[in-house]
Amino acid sequence: MKNHLRALRDEHGWSQGELAERLEVSRQTVNALETGKYDPSLPLAFRIARLFGRSIEDVFVPDEP
Amino acid sequence: MKPTSPRLLALMAAASLGLGLLLPRLIPGLPDAVTGVLLGAAFGLGLAALMYWRLPSPCDTAPAALRRRYTREIAVSMSAYAVAVIVSLLLLKRADLDTPVRALVALLPVPPIALVLRAMVHYIRDVDEMQQRIELEAVSIGTALVCMVYMAGGFLQAAKVIDVPSASAMIWVFPFICAAYGVAKAVVIRRYQ
Repeated sequence: MKNHLRALRDEHGWSQGELAERLEVSRQTVNALETGKYDPSLPLAFRIARLFGRSIEDVFVPDEP
Repeated sequence: MKPTSPRLLALMAAASLGLGLLLPRLIPGLPDAVTGVLLGAAFGLGLAALMYWRLPSPCDTAPAALRRRYTREIAVSMSAYAVAVIVSLLLLKRADLDTPVRALVALLPVPPIALVLRAMVHYIRDVDEMQQRIELEAVSIGTALVCMVYMAGGFLQAAKVIDVPSASAMIWVFPFICAAYGVAKAVVIRRYQ
């Protein structure tokens, strides 16, 4: 699943570590999310969307079927 | 010093190795199993030190405080296990123990192992969701591999191709699962890097 996490993080001027702290996950998890190697659970996806003031669909782009 | 210090693990490995080599000279008649436990612990701790040294933080995304707590809990419970095994083996050498007492003495090392498992469960509960997934995949693969090896061993034993003492085979299940879990984790983590 693709996402706009890196762009949104850059917009806010946060490092991966700062975003990780805000989301209460590890920096490695933020890195894996940004590179699309890990798809978050629904609660984490909601936390991410809420943190950036967006809807989940604005942050995450599902793969084409 | 890193949260889980390879130096501390190496030091514990050296202490265990030293005890394993010295005790048989200092205490005549010490059961071979005691030496075996100490040398086994030295090997395990040495391997862990090597893994922590060569596979640093990318293999483990848990916060430093959590890793420190885990290392502390594992070190305490494994030390208690080593002491319990030695005490148990020394007491079991006495021939005058009734069966219920022998059973109780033989089971002395089990509570420390329960503490090890408790520390592992606490650790997995407290890491973030990606690390939980890594742990789940690693423990599943590790357990599956050990099951396969044990089934293969069972078939070979049934066919009288090998002859492994049953007590050793049963005691080594948990250490084998831990080792396979560790190796599987180092492989699984690469998918998320």
